[in-house]
Amino acid sequence: MIKEITAILILFPFLAALCCYVFRFSTVRSIIVLTTGGVLAASAIFLIPMTPFSIAAPALPGPGIHGIIQILDFLLLFIILYFGFKHHSLVIIALAAFQIVLLAYFEFFLISGEAAVTTIYCDYLSLIMVLIISIVGSIICFQALPYMKNHETNLQLTKTGQHRFFFVMILFLGAMNGLVLSNDMLIFYFFFEVTTLCSFLLIGHDQTETAIKNALRALWMNSLGGAAFIVALMGIYHETATLELQRILISGTPAAGVYLLSLALLCFAAFTKSAQFPFQSWLLGAMVAPTPVSALLHSSTMVKVGVYLVLRLAPVMANTFLSQCLACFGAFTFLSAAALAVGQSNGKKVLAYSTISNLGLIFACAGLNTPESILAAILLIIFHAVIKALLFLCVGTIEQHIVSRDIEDMRGLYATMPLTALITVMGVIMMIMPPFGVLLSKWMAMEAAARNLYAIVMIALGSALTVMYWARWAGTLMSDPFAGRFKPESQPILTWGALGSLCAGAGILSISAPWLYRAMLVPALGKAYLPPFTANNGILENVTGAFAVFPLSLVAAVGFIIAVWAVKRAAGARIVMPYLSGVQTTESAVFTGPMNRPVKAEAKNYYLSSIFGENRLTAWINLVAGVLLTLMVGGAL
Amino acid sequence: MMSNTVLVISGLVAGPLLGGLISGLDRILTARLQSRIGPPVLQPFYDVIKLLGKEKMVVNVWQAFCAYCYIAAASISLVMFFLRSDLLLILFIQAVGAVFLVIGALSSTSPFSQIGAHRELLQILSYEPLLVLVTVGIYLETGSFKIATVYSWSEPLLLKLPFLYLVLGYALTIKLRKSPFDLSTSHHAHQELVKGLLTDYSGPFLALAEIGHWFEIVLLLGFCSLFWATNWVGMMILVAVTYFLEVLIDNVSARMNWRWMLGYVWAMGLSLSLVNLIWLYAG
Repeated sequence: MIKEITAILILFPFLAALCCYVFRFSTVRSIIVLTTGGVLAASAIFLIPMTPFSIAAPALPGPGIHGIIQILDFLLLFIILYFGFKHHSLVIIALAAFQIVLLAYFEFFLISGEAAVTTIYCDYLSLIMVLIISIVGSIICFQALPYMKNHETNLQLTKTGQHRFFFVMILFLGAMNGLVLSNDMLIFYFFFEVTTLCSFLLIGHDQTETAIKNALRALWMNSLGGAAFIVALMGIYHETATLELQRILISGTPAAGVYLLSLALLCFAAFTKSAQFPFQSWLLGAMVAPTPVSALLHSSTMVKVGVYLVLRLAPVMANTFLSQCLACFGAFTFLSAAALAVGQSNGKKVLAYSTISNLGLIFACAGLNTPESILAAILLIIFHAVIKALLFLCVGTIEQHIVSRDIEDMRGLYATMPLTALITVMGVIMMIMPPFGVLLSKWMAMEAAARNLYAIVMIALGSALTVMYWARWAGTLMSDPFAGRFKPESQPILTWGALGSLCAGAGILSISAPWLYRAMLVPALGKAYLPPFTANNGILENVTGAFAVFPLSLVAAVGFIIAVWAVKRAAGARIVMPYLSGVQTTESAVFTGPMNRPVKAEAKNYYLSSIFGENRLTAWINLVAGVLLTLMVGGAL
Repeated sequence: MMSNTVLVISGLVAGPLLGGLISGLDRILTARLQSRIGPPVLQPFYDVIKLLGKEKMVVNVWQAFCAYCYIAAASISLVMFFLRSDLLLILFIQAVGAVFLVIGALSSTSPFSQIGAHRELLQILSYEPLLVLVTVGIYLETGSFKIATVYSWSEPLLLKLPFLYLVLGYALTIKLRKSPFDLSTSHHAHQELVKGLLTDYSGPFLALAEIGHWFEIVLLLGFCSLFWATNWVGMMILVAVTYFLEVLIDNVSARMNWRWMLGYVWAMGLSLSLVNLIWLYAG
């Protein structure tokens, strides 16, 4: 049974993706996408009671599983090479060629015998990832169905590219499932490269000049990560004589030497995937793609590969200089990405920087390497995935309606799109306020970081900046003019379904955090970390602190109900014009100016671009990040 | 369980009562410093009661929502303080209130509210990290973020965390809306910004915002009291002296702009915190 479900999780998407590509009718495509999503989500849930488990390499006829992966690996690299030649990108050609040569040398000359016996290994960390990928990823694909229809109508395309689009989207989910379930590092590497290729194809989907340019940038940056990965694999094999992830993890903590360097290179690869500074530009460029792509890349796939990889390796890195560097680097990214987000008025860019920032915090937690911080990291992965998917889908929906992604253009959105605006505000609130999950993990992260001076100062500053850019956005959405009675706008049922389920899901997950902690997170910490909290009566508590999840949620719910009741009552109150020094007219935001002429009063948000602007900060941040990276890799030597 | 209920209720009662009383004393003290007599000590209560009785007027119904959320968060954070809960968590909950007040102001298109709201965000940006670092200092000294542990600590924290107490002073000045940091709104009329953040809150909703502010005053003075938690007399003296200094600073300084505030508070606050924290790490 386990084998079948695992096979479904990994292989079924590949099959469905092919069907999407072959059968180019929109009804058939919708059915395939919906079925795949349903099947994936169901299989992921079926996996829960079976975890943990491992599966040995199946005895396949012919070349066997290793042979097949080998062939596919080279095929993949040659495809990347092809794209390098097609777009005349020397970097991509060089990196692909480098990987081909290295992989060939590694596979045919270095590896002797069976390097990995157990192909699949699933513990609770993998399970959590599979659940995120299969459920959140599927919801994003569902929403993509109506979105892409609108998208192509708006672009007035004569030939549809949807078969290509959904081919890659669904393939992506399969590759991600394969990645988090594989125990054989070579298979991991294969799926690692598949996600690189998939994101390249998705970013370039619209085939405009910018799209192609940004897609190529994503490809070379991630190929750099791939190259680092393969070098690291060779180093690890040289030291431990195994390529099994689980065997590597029990091989003890490396003091120095090739092993530690390899781990540093793996961290490097993770940084490219997770778009940490100085590799952030590929993720920022990815927003040229249709919004579901961003939602997928930012929440449940791609960028989560990096943090997953580092979290996996965290136990081996405990008490090393590498781990300290990682904490510093992550905290720095958390701070600087938040600073850059403050300077942005482009909604998608704010979301992108927020993703980079949160991933930085996850890396910092992995680097702090205490039970609390690792727990915080896992929680953050879960909640960030759900809420970021929600916010991207919201922005996508808003963008198709108002034809802009600028926060200034969303002023007073509540008047025209009340329900979407409300859901977006809910998403924002869940990002920054207790008792919701993101803040719960931030609380844990801060308490864990308190013993690390660098990390805590940067995290404290970063989290204040975070509050600033989110609060500003939420306020802007709720701005005047007052809309009168609440009447939800009309949207396709799949859109409402996706937004509603993600929003409700995030809320329910937040409330059930103590239960989640006992059922999944403690087992996910594994043997390397002791459970850091006790969870009694819904209160997570230890010697240093306490977070009363249930009581606070209850009180917050009561407060919320009272506030909603206040809104209902206020609807009967006298609605007046905003204060304009006593010369306001009967029209909102218009006052009587000189010569009795009406003048429109306007106020825009502070974006403080003289301090937090991209052209002001990016170069410096890249420089510092580069220095920290060098320190990290060099320190491992 | 019984004692917890008592603590919750006393928190809910003490907040507005003490906060209002402190505001009244503040006004008298300020008046005396300016050679005026000042209003009766209960004047803030009269004001709020009057506001509560006024007609409900809103620019946007979300103001009502935000006013209620603000007072809810402010009172919850004070109750958590009375329950001797986790300091960091209390900070987070207090921030929720501050953010809702801003969102409420942003829901009006009046430039006064808008600019006031953005300045308030900058104020939050200035003091929030400092409060976190103060909390971290307390943790490093006592080994816990829980107030219960801090109150049972045998030695006054002020002796080990003198610089962090100064840092707390910066945060307190901003939070109490005192000059030179009363950028977003203040107790006095602002020429350029009317009432800033609170311009479009009126009647009962303004009253809620005022009561919420009282809760916050008590919470912050509670934070100060942690630094001399060994006996009541010391605690009272510390808090009284601190508040008197706040009023004094308010009266002798002019209002500055946000650039200065952000630069000055971060530079001074961070350096002082760092020095004090490094002592603790080294010690």
